[in-house]
Amino acid sequence: MKFELSEEQSLIRDTVREFAESEIGPSAAQRDEEERFDRALMFDSLAELGLTGIVFPEEYGGAGADYLSYAIAVEELSRVCASTGVTLSAHLSLCANPIYLFGSESQKQQYLTALAAGEKMGAFGLTEPSAGSDAGSTKTTAVKNGDGWLLNGSKIFITNGGEAETYVVLARTDKDAKKHHGISAFIIDKGTEGFTFGKKEQKLGIRSSPTMEIIFENCLIPAENLLGEEGEGFKVAMKTLDGGRIGIASQAVGIAQGALEQAINYAKERKQFDKPIAAFQGISFQLADMATQIEASRLMVYNAAYRASAGLSYSQASAMAKLMASETAMKVTTQAVQILGGYGYSREYPVERMMRDAKITEIYEGTSEIQRLVIGAALTR
Amino acid sequence: MKILVCIKQVPDMESKFKVDAAGTWYDNADLAWRMNEYDEYAVEQAVQLKEQAGEGDITVLSIGPDKVKEAMKKALAMGCDRGVHVSDDAVSSKEPYQIASIIAAFAGDKGFDVIFTGLQSQDRGSGQVGVLVGELLGLPSVTTVVDFNMEGDSVTAKRELEGGIRAVVKVATPALFTCQLGLNTPRYPTLPNIMKAKKKELLTIPVADLLDVDPRQQTAALFFPEKKGGGLVLEGEVGDLADQLVQILKEKTTVLS
Repeated sequence: MKFELSEEQSLIRDTVREFAESEIGPSAAQRDEEERFDRALMFDSLAELGLTGIVFPEEYGGAGADYLSYAIAVEELSRVCASTGVTLSAHLSLCANPIYLFGSESQKQQYLTALAAGEKMGAFGLTEPSAGSDAGSTKTTAVKNGDGWLLNGSKIFITNGGEAETYVVLARTDKDAKKHHGISAFIIDKGTEGFTFGKKEQKLGIRSSPTMEIIFENCLIPAENLLGEEGEGFKVAMKTLDGGRIGIASQAVGIAQGALEQAINYAKERKQFDKPIAAFQGISFQLADMATQIEASRLMVYNAAYRASAGLSYSQASAMAKLMASETAMKVTTQAVQILGGYGYSREYPVERMMRDAKITEIYEGTSEIQRLVIGAALTR
Repeated sequence: MKILVCIKQVPDMESKFKVDAAGTWYDNADLAWRMNEYDEYAVEQAVQLKEQAGEGDITVLSIGPDKVKEAMKKALAMGCDRGVHVSDDAVSSKEPYQIASIIAAFAGDKGFDVIFTGLQSQDRGSGQVGVLVGELLGLPSVTTVVDFNMEGDSVTAKRELEGGIRAVVKVATPALFTCQLGLNTPRYPTLPNIMKAKKKELLTIPVADLLDVDPRQQTAALFFPEKKGGGLVLEGEVGDLADQLVQILKEKTTVLS
């Protein structure tokens, strides 16, 4: 067992860090303020670096790197801008990855290569107004219609919604089957007739990442856009989320790391009672706990990513990593705001944004409660 | 066309430096390392030259312990074709003439058309190695290059001089160029190229095979200058203060001129 990054992984970390600090970071606060997604910056430039297809084989336009490299990239982006981190994570883990895992060869040629190259951006439609944690109660329907499927319903809180060209969407194909069994996954192109966008969410955090409702009204798609087997959509969704959790856990580690560095820098410079506040144990102990929790989270993410690349089971590892990292991110960013005091609460400093961004990591791609449910169920099976 | 780029791995300049036990160099412990900034311009220029020419073979060379391969991997991922690692755990104790002799001993019979080095290293900062390599190989050296244009076997380079002046130098290849900030913007290595870099040739040569000169100088001591006393406190009316400040900025800095 080796706790050291390979030369490639180190170089990927250095490269993405430098890129993130020079290109992505400087506009993060302003994009947050304006709730503005900048596609050229937050997606196209990632494609140029080869990040949009990082884990996929070269034959599909990917970089052929491992999940750990992907986790590192999302962490480094999120360290300066959590919105950019989730843009990549949703595109890669939630859209390109299920097509890679469950797609037919022709679906991979048509969709995965364009997604990996970043010519197209991806999104994933699972959540509905009345089907959140209970994904099995999906109400969107897909009915066989001649040579295709007719979709009706709507999906909410869709990351990259509106901006993405390719959507992996879950819909009920069998009303009579038991809850989890009558669901199928589909690939849907933006621009298909009957596929429209609803309102853009106004959010607490990750405000530079677009979140939108997507609507299907008699939307007819070709039969060959069924992803995986008919009725196996729930499995597709769960597998997709296993991978997605590595992305979100990495995002959480990145947010927490960014906040920790801000807190350390501030604590070393800020003088009260004639000495830097870092010299007070009350502060340095907090910093120690923050750094320790981040390191524990990071190692759990690395473990989940390693297992994914090694072909080992990783649902449990990714659920644990996501639970640990997201709760760490919330704790650490809150403490960072506290350490910066009034300045931390001010939007002049980035830690309040990090605290707002951290909260979503405890909610999306399975709330902390759902992670505990998944972990607990596996323990007591 | 055969191109050689010489690079050095240096500590991140944001590091907290400590003088080592011998008192002649900095302590290597706990430092983060990266490619010397000026060498990044050199690598980028080499890759651009190859791209513009549509052909060429770029060798990247670095001297030092195994760790310098990290910087070489970056150069390979940026577009160099092959690497030559001159293995030397005691590189920091070698002076510029020795370093240049090692490079010249390697390059002597290889027939490089163009050699790029950084203007200087960010740590030693002698600014000698590039020029000495040129001398040892009997090649013309053009230093402080901020613009590079090659047509046929003729290079037109712009050099940065003090006071904002630039000089245009024409030189026939083979020749050596030391690269300065402003020459180009080094690319980020792409992820696919990082992955491909591990398949590129990276030859290791023991330093003993290439070094056969004695040092001509030695560093006697390395130290931090004593901290100077407090700053200057200006007193008086606001208008006078502003005048005094402007005067100081004009005289002592380049902020105003």
